[in-house]
Amino acid sequence: MATATGGDRIILGIESSCDDTAAAVVQRVDGRAHVLSSVVLGQTALHADFGGVVPEIAARAHSERLDAAIAQALAEAALGFDDLDGIAVTAGPGLIGGLVSAVVAARAIAAARGLPLVGVNHLAGHALSPQFSAELPFPYLLLLVSGGHCQFLLVRGPDGFERLGGTIDDAPGEAFDKVARLLGLPQPGGPSVEEEARRGDAARFAFPRPLLDRAGMDLSFSGLKTAVLRERDRLVAGAGGLRRQDRADICAGFQAAVADVLAEKAARAISVYLGENPANPALCVAGGVASNATLRSALQAVASSTGCRFVAPPLALCTDNAAMIAWAGLAQFDAGSGGDFAARPRWPLDQDAAPMLGAGKKGAKA
Amino acid sequence: MPPAPLILAFDTAGPHCAAALLRGADLLDARVEAMERGQAERLVDLLSEMLAEQGLGYADLSALACGTGPGNFTGVRIAVSAARGFALALNLPAHGVSRFEAEALDLPRPCLVALDARRGEVYAQRFGEGAHGPALLASGDALPLDGLAASRGDISGLPAGHLPPVTPETLARNIARIAHARLTGGEPAPPPAPLYLRAADAAPSRHPAPVMLP
Repeated sequence: MATATGGDRIILGIESSCDDTAAAVVQRVDGRAHVLSSVVLGQTALHADFGGVVPEIAARAHSERLDAAIAQALAEAALGFDDLDGIAVTAGPGLIGGLVSAVVAARAIAAARGLPLVGVNHLAGHALSPQFSAELPFPYLLLLVSGGHCQFLLVRGPDGFERLGGTIDDAPGEAFDKVARLLGLPQPGGPSVEEEARRGDAARFAFPRPLLDRAGMDLSFSGLKTAVLRERDRLVAGAGGLRRQDRADICAGFQAAVADVLAEKAARAISVYLGENPANPALCVAGGVASNATLRSALQAVASSTGCRFVAPPLALCTDNAAMIAWAGLAQFDAGSGGDFAARPRWPLDQDAAPMLGAGKKGAKA
Repeated sequence: MPPAPLILAFDTAGPHCAAALLRGADLLDARVEAMERGQAERLVDLLSEMLAEQGLGYADLSALACGTGPGNFTGVRIAVSAARGFALALNLPAHGVSRFEAEALDLPRPCLVALDARRGEVYAQRFGEGAHGPALLASGDALPLDGLAASRGDISGLPAGHLPPVTPETLARNIARIAHARLTGGEPAPPPAPLYLRAADAAPSRHPAPVMLP
């Protein structure tokens, strides 16, 4: 059986925890990651008519697309299964239907080809993804901000994560999608709200900055979403519809509120992080929301004012992808992990952190 | 003469992992493990064990076959995902076989397979003259019973003399036999896809988009 411990290795990554079916081949050369291919098959159109990602629709799509994504990733890398040293598959956290399909497909491929297999935490994939852009000494500070997640993590090593704070309800990406839907803008909401906000006046509406008045690094975006809904309904009731300028102003105001909250909480997280006197300190951002230019420049400003480098993965590797899963899997192979694992919808990266408010009786989700 | 094809078939659409290994027309092994959940963790190991005990490996296979339902959605996806993974990794055909086809395999035509779909509904398919379905029927709907030579199922309203559904072991064996017939008949093997017959539960957005003004 091939081994994947240490040295230069080629790993197939597989990811299907939300609404992207992804496969990628990553090679490590002299300690650096080389993404040989990264295929992402999105499902935006399948979910467009509904109030968000529909788990059963996502599960159905993943089960019939994973093999094609994997075949395409190998073809684009011009490699076959014989060239691989191992397989890494996202085992959680996420929507269980997609996770199960990917884990089963990965198990089948691993058994058929005698390849070692590891189950990877999706959040660990994001947390290590800034390494695609730069050599990063540990510890670094990471803001993971996506459609499903929002948390500040101190990344102490490939398997050492400390959660400093996170959202107690919705993730910002989810809020962007919801705001887009409320305003009749296309999905995904991130780019369309950002585009609309360019024409808007961010100062016209005073949207709340949730939890800014409270100490710590936890965040909340549910109330902001509701405030946007109320403002929209007030405007529609007054005019019999929503004017283009109203819509642009709401988008700008909403985006500014998210930027203010993330920047202030990031500043607090940085001060905790700098208390550890890290060498060459870095604020890293990962997740799809990191591609928003306004949010990015707000975070960049905080980083530069506190003497931190600002590092984000290349744009295509910010959103959900399988290259980050292959890369995190490589670290697991190095650590000698392998063996049994199961798909799991809840899998907090920092097992010691207290569950977030609203996480439910089963404990932390992520 | 080339050796008879070796076919590995499995089904996880019900509360079981069921598998059969067929060499030509000969059944080498069949096994069933009953389980309400956990098929995703068990299936591939069970298949590996079954092959190993015959002194065989995945490289010896000629084709894969899997049950595509209807049945438990997650269970159907487990079998389909495994079959697609094996097919890709081994560059072999994978044949998807519906539960209707497997239930009807040894029945004279015309025949009806009608299975309890819960929620007051019935999964049904009629084979042979008057072919109908596969379909999801309300339990009050008339079943296509005219002139049946045989029927199989677990619902009320089937004609006297109807047969119960096959056991999970027979289900896996029949899936393998159908794949063998297709393989020797040179039939194409499109990637297996679940036969759901029921739309995904999904609610439209609670907040419709506003009327836009200039």
